Amino acid sequence: MLSEENLEILTESAKYDVSCSSSGSKRKNSAGGLGNGAASGICHSFTPDGRCISLLKILMSNECVYDCEYCPNRTSANVRRARISPDEICELTVNFYKRNYIEGLFLSSAVFETPNKTMELLYETVLKLRKIYNFNGYIHLKGIPYADEALVMKAAKLVDRMSYNIELPSEKSLKMLAPQKTKQSLLLPMKNLKEAIDYEKFNNMRRNVLPAGQTTQMIIGASPESDGQILKLTEALYRNMNLRRVYYSSYIPVVQSNKLPAVGAGLLREHRLYQADWLIRFYGFDVNEICREDENLSEDYDPKCAWALRNMNLFPIEINRAPLEILLRVPGIGAKSAYKITEARKFAELDFDNLAKMRIVLKRAKHFITCKGKFYGADSYEKVKYALLLDGKWETREQISMFSTPSTALSALTGNI
Amino acid sequence: MKIFICDGSPVCFFTAVFDAFAEKQCLITSDSEIQLSLDSEVIRVETDEAKALKVKRGIEKHDSEAIYDILTALRSGDSLKEQTVFEYIQRLMERKSSVKKAYNLPEVIEFNNILYKINGEVHRLKGLLRFMESASGAFYAPYSPDNDITELLMPHFAERFKAEKFVIHDLKRKIAGMYDGREWIIGYAGEAEIYLSEYEKAFETLWKKYYKSVTIKERPHEKQMKNSMPVRYWKYLPEKNNND
Repeated sequence: MLSEENLEILTESAKYDVSCSSSGSKRKNSAGGLGNGAASGICHSFTPDGRCISLLKILMSNECVYDCEYCPNRTSANVRRARISPDEICELTVNFYKRNYIEGLFLSSAVFETPNKTMELLYETVLKLRKIYNFNGYIHLKGIPYADEALVMKAAKLVDRMSYNIELPSEKSLKMLAPQKTKQSLLLPMKNLKEAIDYEKFNNMRRNVLPAGQTTQMIIGASPESDGQILKLTEALYRNMNLRRVYYSSYIPVVQSNKLPAVGAGLLREHRLYQADWLIRFYGFDVNEICREDENLSEDYDPKCAWALRNMNLFPIEINRAPLEILLRVPGIGAKSAYKITEARKFAELDFDNLAKMRIVLKRAKHFITCKGKFYGADSYEKVKYALLLDGKWETREQISMFSTPSTALSALTGNI
Repeated sequence: MKIFICDGSPVCFFTAVFDAFAEKQCLITSDSEIQLSLDSEVIRVETDEAKALKVKRGIEKHDSEAIYDILTALRSGDSLKEQTVFEYIQRLMERKSSVKKAYNLPEVIEFNNILYKINGEVHRLKGLLRFMESASGAFYAPYSPDNDITELLMPHFAERFKAEKFVIHDLKRKIAGMYDGREWIIGYAGEAEIYLSEYEKAFETLWKKYYKSVTIKERPHEKQMKNSMPVRYWKYLPEKNNND
């Protein structure tokens, strides 16, 4: 059985990876097998930092041959090192799973010896889990750059999701901070996997390759790219690579290096990027509507409010008549609320009282809507701007208090390869 | 006002709906400790399969999917659940078509609220239920949920742990769902004495270690943790009980 110390080292190295999602896979259990996928994802516990535990997130090893500036496991760092075997990982996964501690495994590794050697052992682990332990629960596997394509493809047929972290938002920054990785070494395998997924899809074949698709992660603020550039890249990744999620992790200085900024990016920036990311994915916004390429997102207003303030001529809209895609553009009205409104108004004309009872938050929305022709928002642009600013301050204060002790230090780092 | 007291079973509830249907003002409940006012007339409902069936047919005629929601809602731990469901049925019968999405009606909002709570607890416990391995190799999960959801959890775990034997034990309601590796049943279950397997302690310790190690101590956010994982569920979570 795995020792407590190794579990500690390899968990602490893995925990800064943002993704812990177990959604998107409907993998079926097999006769005599253990586990299945739950399309909505399931959280099994929550840690005192407020994050959910869904998967057993662990590195196979933190012994790394690379020396990326920002990474706590880089070869030149002085940290405790450990490596565990495929069987140790399988045993732990299966036993945690049977106790319903976890939804599956998130397996990653530092690159030890060579990329192929690392990928081979990762593949061996997932192969054993699926074929020997008959495990059908969720598996998220991290891809190893430069590993043999055939090996990666074999692994992709066994797991639910894979991710190659693009690490930094531009090739130039990658060269500077992670010189042993290239844009090609990250994007090419991503593209190959996308093509393998598409091939099955377009030929109506049984879906084996990555039923929950691919994701990626990048560090924000360790390099000079603007939010506009980051969002352009994000949009391109969604469109061209068909990624399910792009995760951001804001940089906070922990490593002394003249190549890295001395101050962190702050979590507000990360928060705003996620808001913009949601607008692109679920609200029908185009990046150009949210942010110009050379600009950053507003700190004072969330991206939807900022957009609405720039487009006041479109408002107010009538709740009982506006189509869904317009409702989605009202600050304060989310996807669920918009859907509820379109359903409820089939039964009766809605007034403000109805909306409140339907638990639709009107604090921001009231400046942009009418109900049966009535308007209760502020009567001038300046007043609306000010009201939203005050409201936003509350939101940002909450956000910041979540993370803001100076010793957040380590927390902004991506703990993997 | 007439107060219809039923025994807590769905059949008895549907009988009560039949009896109460013509009343202008009445209350249906299975809560025997209900506060009575001076003018209240208590009626103990005698279960009648034929009446219950008529009510169910009537509901199905107007909305074939409503019966599933109604049966789910009756699993609520809320003491007013029967009345809430009754009023929902009344609106449905008035309108003669589905009212599930008529969010402008207060009765519908109330009904959806209790459904939301039950379905939410089911989803939550799919994650928070904890099994321990007994010496015989069967897995045992004790819990005390707000709502009567054991039957709703069984299919999920029976599919997931297809080859395992397991028991989900609701200590509050003294019932258990039991799966023998092929099929599952629900039955009465009082106290249980469990002998743990020799590995149980070791895996529990590793899990606690994992929980501790994966926490980012520099970013405390207790409030968010408690919102997502309310304290009343902690009793059965090893990672929240550090008594060794």
